[in-house]
Amino acid sequence: MNKEKTMENFDKILDECIDRVNSGESLQSCLTSYPACAEQLKPLLSAAAKSKSAFAFTPQPHAKTAARGRFDAARVGSRGNTQYTGGWLSRVVGKPLIFAGVAVAAVVVAVLYFGSNQPYYPIIPGPEPHAEGNFVLLISDDINAIADFASVDVTISAVQLFASGEGKWLEIEPEIKQVDLASVQGDDSIQIWRGDLPEDEYTKIVIDVESVRGVLKATGESVDIKLPSSKLQLHLPFRVSAGTVTSFTYDITVFSTGSGHGNSKYILKPQAGESGAVVAGRKQD
Amino acid sequence: MRTATGRQNSSDARNMHEAELAGLYPEYYDRIARYAAAHIGSRLDGEDIAGEVFLRALRSLGSYRKQSVPMQAWLFQIAHNLVVDYLRQKNRRRTVDIESVILESPGNPETVVERGIDLERVAGAMSRLTSDQRQVLTLRFLGELSSKETAEVMGKTDGAVREMQRAALAKLRTILGDE
Repeated sequence: MNKEKTMENFDKILDECIDRVNSGESLQSCLTSYPACAEQLKPLLSAAAKSKSAFAFTPQPHAKTAARGRFDAARVGSRGNTQYTGGWLSRVVGKPLIFAGVAVAAVVVAVLYFGSNQPYYPIIPGPEPHAEGNFVLLISDDINAIADFASVDVTISAVQLFASGEGKWLEIEPEIKQVDLASVQGDDSIQIWRGDLPEDEYTKIVIDVESVRGVLKATGESVDIKLPSSKLQLHLPFRVSAGTVTSFTYDITVFSTGSGHGNSKYILKPQAGESGAVVAGRKQD
Repeated sequence: MRTATGRQNSSDARNMHEAELAGLYPEYYDRIARYAAAHIGSRLDGEDIAGEVFLRALRSLGSYRKQSVPMQAWLFQIAHNLVVDYLRQKNRRRTVDIESVILESPGNPETVVERGIDLERVAGAMSRLTSDQRQVLTLRFLGELSSKETAEVMGKTDGAVREMQRAALAKLRTILGDE
């Protein structure tokens, strides 16, 4: 058997093993099935398992449900269109002016109904701050590795909120852009924006972080705090209504990833368990 | 000129395809979200793209021909186009969104952070593959498509996909092993 043929057979075995791992079988059971090439297979299947598990995540149930709702609504809409197409089309097609008008209207309706061709939702500028507004955004810091720091200055450039009913992102500019997390530990918090948001169910808040600078208590040295995406994302549904004030506390925490013997690395992340909305003094579920 | 019978047949086919599409939703929404998130570096936008794939598919059912490509492969073709549009329009550099992983894991913060670092390493390694190799791996592992379906999405032969798969994994192993 020539080398090319051997490689082709190996590719088929590797492919079969990947199918088996995808359907839940263990890597070891694949290797047992092909002892002759187990030595070659093992590192490749390990790399495959590593890349699969690194990117694995379960989409947020409420995001999936909302997307399914839009899909089902579009199905109902498309059925309606199908039922009427034959009848009116044959009547108007012989009258150019009516046909042109209907065609333009159809395009407008389609654009309004389906939205733009963007795969993501549009981001539109949100309202200006207002002292008596129905929404208050606060920043706090759960106590973790923050005790290592004299200060952790987080500079926030923008905050985006996803209004799930309208299907759009609102972007607001914080009134206070720099927050020292060391000064808002535990129950303390700082208000960074207040204003009137449109009534809606909001499901995601994303904070755009421009920079993070920390100063260590022990040495006075400045350290990098990692935030590779420059974004902090929280998926926590809350409602904003007229006549009530919704205060949303966004908890940002510093974690240490090292042993603490001079090789600590720090990472910034939102703390979902400590974040949430309060309406008229009552925490929403 | 289309006859009443022709219209009825076309409508029956559309209804059948629509039912098939709806049936794929529960499983393939998740797979497409993972596939898209791996390419664009954001779980949040990956989920939005997954929802958009099904809306686009629904709108394009009239042009879908089952005999040319199975529906699940067709969905990934749409997803691939949306990913390309997304990257082009947003002109984003490929990033790794550690928060996406962290929010997924309510367990021990250190484990969670380690997982984020694993993601960063693997994403860094993936970015050194060719775009076809990346496409093969994400379709196979995150989309969980067979090599035949992957070949249909990419317009290549099964053999070419299997060969790219082996080369991609060998390169990935070398890069991850070198770190």
